[in-house]
Amino acid sequence: MVSKKMKATSTIALSAALVLSMAACGNSNNESKGATESKGNTATNAPDAGTPKTENGKKVTITFQNIYPDPATPAYKMLHELVDQYEKENPNIHIELDTLNTDQQKVKLKTQAASKEVPDITIVNPAAQMKPFVDAKLFAPLNDMLDQNGLKDTYQSGLLDYYSFDGNVYALPDGNNIEVVYYNKELFEQAGIKDTPKTFDELLQDVKTLKAKGITPIAIGEKDSWTGSFLFMNILLRTNGGPGFLQDVLDGKKTFEDPAFVEAVDRFQDLVQAGAFPDGATSIDANAGGNIFKSGKAAMWVIGSWETGAIDASSVAGKTGAFQFPSVNGKGDPNEFMLAPGSAFAISANSEHLQETKDFLNFFTLNYPKKQFELKNAVGIGQKVDGDLKAAGYSDLAINVSGLFNQVKGGDLAFDNTMNPATAQVHLSSIQNLFVQKVDSAQVAKEHQTAFEANK
Amino acid sequence: MKVLKVPARTIAVFVLPCLLLYVCLVFAPILVSFYTGLLQWDGITTAKFAGFANFKDMFLHDPVFWPSVKRTLLYAVASMVEIPFCLLMAILLNRYVRKGNTLVSIYFTPVILSVVIIGQLWKTIYDPVSMGGMLNGVLIFLGLDSWTHNWITEPKIAMFALYAVSLWQYFGYHLLIQYTGVQNIPDELYEAAKIDGADGFKADRYITFPLIIPIFKISIVLAFIGSLQAFDLVMVMTAGGPAHATDVISTHMYNSSFLSFKYGYGSAIASFLVILCLVFTAGINTIFNKLEKKFS
Repeated sequence: MVSKKMKATSTIALSAALVLSMAACGNSNNESKGATESKGNTATNAPDAGTPKTENGKKVTITFQNIYPDPATPAYKMLHELVDQYEKENPNIHIELDTLNTDQQKVKLKTQAASKEVPDITIVNPAAQMKPFVDAKLFAPLNDMLDQNGLKDTYQSGLLDYYSFDGNVYALPDGNNIEVVYYNKELFEQAGIKDTPKTFDELLQDVKTLKAKGITPIAIGEKDSWTGSFLFMNILLRTNGGPGFLQDVLDGKKTFEDPAFVEAVDRFQDLVQAGAFPDGATSIDANAGGNIFKSGKAAMWVIGSWETGAIDASSVAGKTGAFQFPSVNGKGDPNEFMLAPGSAFAISANSEHLQETKDFLNFFTLNYPKKQFELKNAVGIGQKVDGDLKAAGYSDLAINVSGLFNQVKGGDLAFDNTMNPATAQVHLSSIQNLFVQKVDSAQVAKEHQTAFEANK
Repeated sequence: MKVLKVPARTIAVFVLPCLLLYVCLVFAPILVSFYTGLLQWDGITTAKFAGFANFKDMFLHDPVFWPSVKRTLLYAVASMVEIPFCLLMAILLNRYVRKGNTLVSIYFTPVILSVVIIGQLWKTIYDPVSMGGMLNGVLIFLGLDSWTHNWITEPKIAMFALYAVSLWQYFGYHLLIQYTGVQNIPDELYEAAKIDGADGFKADRYITFPLIIPIFKISIVLAFIGSLQAFDLVMVMTAGGPAHATDVISTHMYNSSFLSFKYGYGSAIASFLVILCLVFTAGINTIFNKLEKKFS
C-alpha cells in the first residue's frame, strides 16, 4: 500500500518536473531565437577590426568558459553576438561556450586546474587570486597577442599590471570598476536629508535618520561575505590616510594591529550598531541584498560601479545617484576609491589550438568595448571607447558614475585580491562576525595578524 | 553460502563488477584522500609532503575544527533522538488510524523535495519580520514579541534553527521506515498476547519493541550517518556563517579545500570524517547486536 502511494506521489512529482523542464526548454528556444535575430541585425554594422584568418581549413573547436549566464543582461548578448560573428567569419572555428555562475566557475576551474585540464579560454580574478594558477604555469603569456592590431593600447594605462607577473600579461580584464555609494534620491528626500554625506559622521547621522523613518539605510547581502569586506576596506582606505595598507602588511612594514586597522574596525562597528544594515543581513545572499536597494526598500548601496546597468534596468531607475565614500575622522581623500579590476580572460598554456585561441581572443577583446557601448553597458569597461555617453542615450546615473571615474586618483584592491586565499577567508568571516555581535576591535586585528602569519 | 547451491567461483564472477566499481569509486578515493591529507597542497601547484602537519593543525590549532565537530555530533544526536518519536507515532498510527498510509505519504512529502527548496523555504520562514518572516510574524501575532529572533543569523541559536529544519524534513522518512516495520509484525502475535492478557502498552513492550529493533537500527544508522555528512542544508541556508557559527565538519572541509585553497588540509578533515563515520557505525552495530541478543 505504502509503495503504491509512494508511486503515485513520485509520479505526480515527476510529471510536474517534466512540465517544468519542458517549459524551461520552451523558454530557451525563444531566447536563442531572439539572440540569432538580433545577431542578424548587428552583424552587418559590427566593426570588422582585423580578424586574422586561419586558412588551413581544418575544423577547430575552442572552449570558452565564461560567467555570463543570464540572457537578460547586456553581457550575455555581447558574448553571443561576438561569438556568432566570429564563427561566421571563420567557418572552420567553432566556439564552444561553457557558461556558468561566478561561484560555480571558480570551483570548476579549480577542479580542472588540479588535473591540468584548463579550458582554452577561462575566467580568472586579478592579482593574488590568479597567482596560484600562474605559478602552476597553467596560463599562456599574451604579450605577443596584445601587440596585434594595437590591442594593448585600448586598455587604460596600468590596468594590465594587475594581470601581469614577471613582465608577462596572463589575462585580459572585462572591466575596471570602482566602489561607489548608490543612493535613492526619493528615500533621502522622504527622510529629509538634503545632501549626500561628506564625512563618516554625517553618514552615521543619515543612517540614524533613515532608520528612524523606518527605511533600511544600507542594503547588503552579507551571506556572500565579500560584500561586507568590500565596504569595510573602503573605511580602511580612509583611516589609513590613503591606499597601500595591505601592501605594507605584506611588505612587513605594518601589522594588522596598526591603529588605522583597529580604527576602521571601530567605525565599521559604529555603522552596524547604528542599524545601518537590514535585519538578518548575514543570511541574505549578494543578489538578494542588491535587490533590497533595486526594489526601493533601502536608501543606499555600497557596491562596485558594475551595478550601474542593473540599477538602470530596475524599478528605481531614474531615482538614483552615486557619490564617493566619505572621509573618515577627517582622514582620507574621497577621490581615492576601492578599485575593482574585473574578471579577466586567460588562455590555457596547454591549449591544443593556442594560436587560433589567441586570434579569437584578440578579436573578442578588440570588439568588446564597442559592443558593450552599443548595449549601454560601457560604464567601467576598462578599455578606451569612442563615443559620448549622453549622446548615446545613457542614463543620468551612468553619466554620474562615469563622472566619478574621472576623479579617481588611486586606491586599493579588494582584500581577497591582495592577500592569499587562506588569510582572506579568515578576514571574510571575521568581518561577517561584526554583523552579528559586538567584538573588541583589537581582538579582530589580532585574529587577522595571526591568520596572516600562519598562512604566509 | 551453501544455501545458494552454486560454486564459489560463480558467486565471485557475479560479485566482481560491483566489487570493482566499489573499490574504484569508493575505496580508492578514500585512500587517495588520506594520502592527500599528508600534503601541503593548494590543489593546483606542486604538492609538498608534510607528514602529519595537517592533522596536528587540525587537532591543536584550528579554532573552527572542534566546534564544528561538536555541532556535527549534536546534529547526529538530535536526529537519533527523533527516531523514538517516529516509532511512537508509527505505533499510534497503526493502532488508531484506519488509513494510516495516506497520512504517512503526506508526512513523507518534505523528503522528496530538494534540500535547496527546503532551505529557501525555511529561510523565508525564519526571516526577520521586516522582511516578512512567517515565524516571527506568528510570534508577534500571539503577543510573544520577546520570543522573536533573527533565527539563522544569531550565532547562539542559528545552529538549532538548522537542526529543526532537518528534523522536520526527515521526520516523515523515519516514520515511513518505522511504520512499515510495525505493519510487518504479524497480527497473530498481538491476538495471542491479548488472550494472555497483554494489551496496549504492555503488548508494545513485549512484542513491538523486540521485533522492531532491526528496523530501529536501520533508522538510527541512517540518521546518524546522514547528519554527519550534513552539507547541503547548511550551505543553502547559512553557508556556515555568521562567522563559522553554523559550520559543520563537511562545510569546514569544503571551505578549506575550495575557498582557502588548502586542499591537503581539507583532505585531512575528510579523512577524519570517514574515520568518525566508521567508528560510530561500528559502535551502533555492536550496541544493537547486544540488544537483539538480549531480547531474542
